[in-house]
Amino acid sequence: MGGSSTIPSHTRITTTTSDLENAAYAPLPGHSSPASPRRPLKGFAGIIVSVIFLLALVALILDQSQEPLDKPGKDEAPTLTSNATSFSNISGPVARGVAQGVSAKSNPSFSGHELSYNWTNAMFSWQRTAFHFQPERNWMNDPDGPLYHKGWYHLFYQYNPDSAVWGNITWGHAVSTDLIHWLYLPIAMVPDSWFDWNGVWTGSATILPDGQIVMLYTGDTDNYVQVQNLAYPANLSDPLLLDWVKYSGNPVLVPPTGIAPKDFRDPTTAWLGPDGKWRLTIGSKVNTTGISLVYTTTNFTDYELLDTVLHAVPGTGMWECVDFYPVSINGTKGLDTSAGGPGVKHVLKASLDNTKLDYYALGTYFAENDTWVPDDPEQDVGIGLRYDYGRYYASKTFYDPVKERRILWGWINETDTENDDLAKGWASVQTIPRTVLYDNNTGTNILQWPVEELESLRLNSTDFDGVVVEPGSVVELDIGSATQLDILAEFEIESLGLEETNEVNGLCGSGATDRSSFGPFGLLVIADETLSELTPIYFRLANSSDGSFETYFCADERRSSKASDVFKQVYGSSVPVLDGETLSMRILVDHSIVESFAQGGRRVITSRLYPTEAIYGAARLFLFNNATGVNVKATLKIWQLNYAFIHPFPLDQMH
Amino acid sequence: MKLLLLIFLVQAVLQTIYLPASQGTVQPMDARLIEQTCKQTPLYNLCVSILKSDSRSSKADVTGLALIMVDVLKAKATGTRNYIKRLLRGNLKRDVRHGLSSCAEVYNSVLEADVPVAIEALQKGNPKFAEQAANDAAIEASSCERSFSGHSPLTKSNKSMQDVSSVAAAIVRLLL
Repeated sequence: MGGSSTIPSHTRITTTTSDLENAAYAPLPGHSSPASPRRPLKGFAGIIVSVIFLLALVALILDQSQEPLDKPGKDEAPTLTSNATSFSNISGPVARGVAQGVSAKSNPSFSGHELSYNWTNAMFSWQRTAFHFQPERNWMNDPDGPLYHKGWYHLFYQYNPDSAVWGNITWGHAVSTDLIHWLYLPIAMVPDSWFDWNGVWTGSATILPDGQIVMLYTGDTDNYVQVQNLAYPANLSDPLLLDWVKYSGNPVLVPPTGIAPKDFRDPTTAWLGPDGKWRLTIGSKVNTTGISLVYTTTNFTDYELLDTVLHAVPGTGMWECVDFYPVSINGTKGLDTSAGGPGVKHVLKASLDNTKLDYYALGTYFAENDTWVPDDPEQDVGIGLRYDYGRYYASKTFYDPVKERRILWGWINETDTENDDLAKGWASVQTIPRTVLYDNNTGTNILQWPVEELESLRLNSTDFDGVVVEPGSVVELDIGSATQLDILAEFEIESLGLEETNEVNGLCGSGATDRSSFGPFGLLVIADETLSELTPIYFRLANSSDGSFETYFCADERRSSKASDVFKQVYGSSVPVLDGETLSMRILVDHSIVESFAQGGRRVITSRLYPTEAIYGAARLFLFNNATGVNVKATLKIWQLNYAFIHPFPLDQMH
Repeated sequence: MKLLLLIFLVQAVLQTIYLPASQGTVQPMDARLIEQTCKQTPLYNLCVSILKSDSRSSKADVTGLALIMVDVLKAKATGTRNYIKRLLRGNLKRDVRHGLSSCAEVYNSVLEADVPVAIEALQKGNPKFAEQAANDAAIEASSCERSFSGHSPLTKSNKSMQDVSSVAAAIVRLLL
């Protein structure tokens, strides 16, 4: 704040709104009148000099007056002649060309003078998911401390108990025996200590060999410093882990020298090193280089910071929610976080604060000096592969010892407005948990796949065998209700021997209407009968310069809703397709969220949709082929999926 | 000669009293930060004029400048919301009344959601939520503008909100 101001600038601005006459700002305090000469002057030279000095002083003081701000409402009495500028000509938020750079809440494409949408309760209610985890109401963000304990899978999550927007962050808590049917439990941790007064933020669990659970989490202190705190279950024999104790000596870690107090958060699960000490890593940044700090500990209360970082990538900015875990090269099962040795690669992942995207890379971990090197430096963390090419952030894995799986959680934010979120009373869902395996066919990526327990929700199925879709056509798939589906689809293309048309400019073009010889083709989900609203999930093939095919997997939200105030993006990525493989996709449709997996989970896209017409019984499913030079033959198996009936744990019925 | 010396002394005293106390004197260093910051926003002149007219900007870092901009956003939203309330008291055609009611709702959201989230996120060092909130404010403003099938009585307010939101979002982006 400035020095001795007696008029808060804030007040100054508000008064101008209603007080249109008062164009200039109030003079600065203490300067209501310029100084006046205090003594009569005898010398003429003395008079001149004094006057000059006085004028200089007065000029200095008056120079502090400010230019008037653009005042709202000044010319807006309804009787004035209208300002002829069409609203769409007015510059809005800066558009960024690359899809990755666009913040999800900026929507530069105003489509002229479209009327703003009037949401109904029916539309809002429909948006709630049937089988994805979300709290009953209010805001959620990062998944926290996922773990398995005494028969229950636990999920904690960043939760605002008071509102449908971010703030007042606590740890929500839920349990499930199968990762699908969740039961809400009371809030696990609230900001009740000075070391987390301003937020109980993201953290991870470490299960010790003797079964003890160590939870490390970021607290935002009463002075807005980010620190790491230790918490543990009050009662380890409680399978529900209802109560948690915060270590009295918190914080156990404070920002080290050279790290800013607001760039130090999201500790990972710890792993054992060859020296018997535990290690964990915390993301941060130095200038614009994203880094991963390493701490060692034997007791989780005292730590040593290593001189070297686990890894760093210039230009990637702050690394949030770092995750670091081993994968088995033979790609058959998941590994405990401390696993290592030959036959193991390590995944390093970071959520990039400046683009809100999750990146990962495969590489080698050198336990001797706690460093990690990517297999391909051009596909390093932050510049290479992403877990998910849609709306997806703050992901975190954990090891499931029962089924020997590495399981991945991811936070999916809304892409509608805050106004909509406040009106409907909730915001955000988690993905269906995904297993993570090394893809030993390509050797360059991991595979993600919805946990098999999802299949317990499958009801009846419908098969379609070899449905031919000609260029420029659409085929409805008669499956009944189309809002809760598990779709497995395979596609073959038959060339029509036509001359190849000009190929698309890379990736997913500008969506599914961007036609070329070999695509796009795929499915239209959450579409209404007249196709006024639809969301294409598709493949497009293109001849690359060396004569081989490049395959792109895309989701086009541009026509997912008639509402103009929701964010509608085209998402996608190239996907490796090996010789002899068929093009395949799996799509989970669950009301306002769609998760799409290509080639067994090589690439994944999560989308959020807010249709106004294609809801309830009006939603349909279609095949489409917008290619110009090929017929598409599709074979599908489509299941209706049941609700998961996520509800509060009946604690009062326990003895 | 003695008189001249006396005058100089008096002037020197007066200058030492007034110079440090002159509010909003932007020292060369602060002016540079404001100018550097505003260059990275889409509306340089607006950004500079808003920041320079706030006395807090002379001692602010980029987070502080962002908070000032959010404060201005809040003031504008408050002003517009009050203006809408005033208009709604009058005799209006049904579609205008309907549009104004939608606008009252969205400006309410800007004040109840976007502004508090932006402030909290900036203070606590989780700026991505502030960027999201600032961008949302711009969208809410455009949503309000589109609530009118005919002439909008709020075009200038909405544009103003859009402008300040885009500047705020751009400043927050520098923290990411």
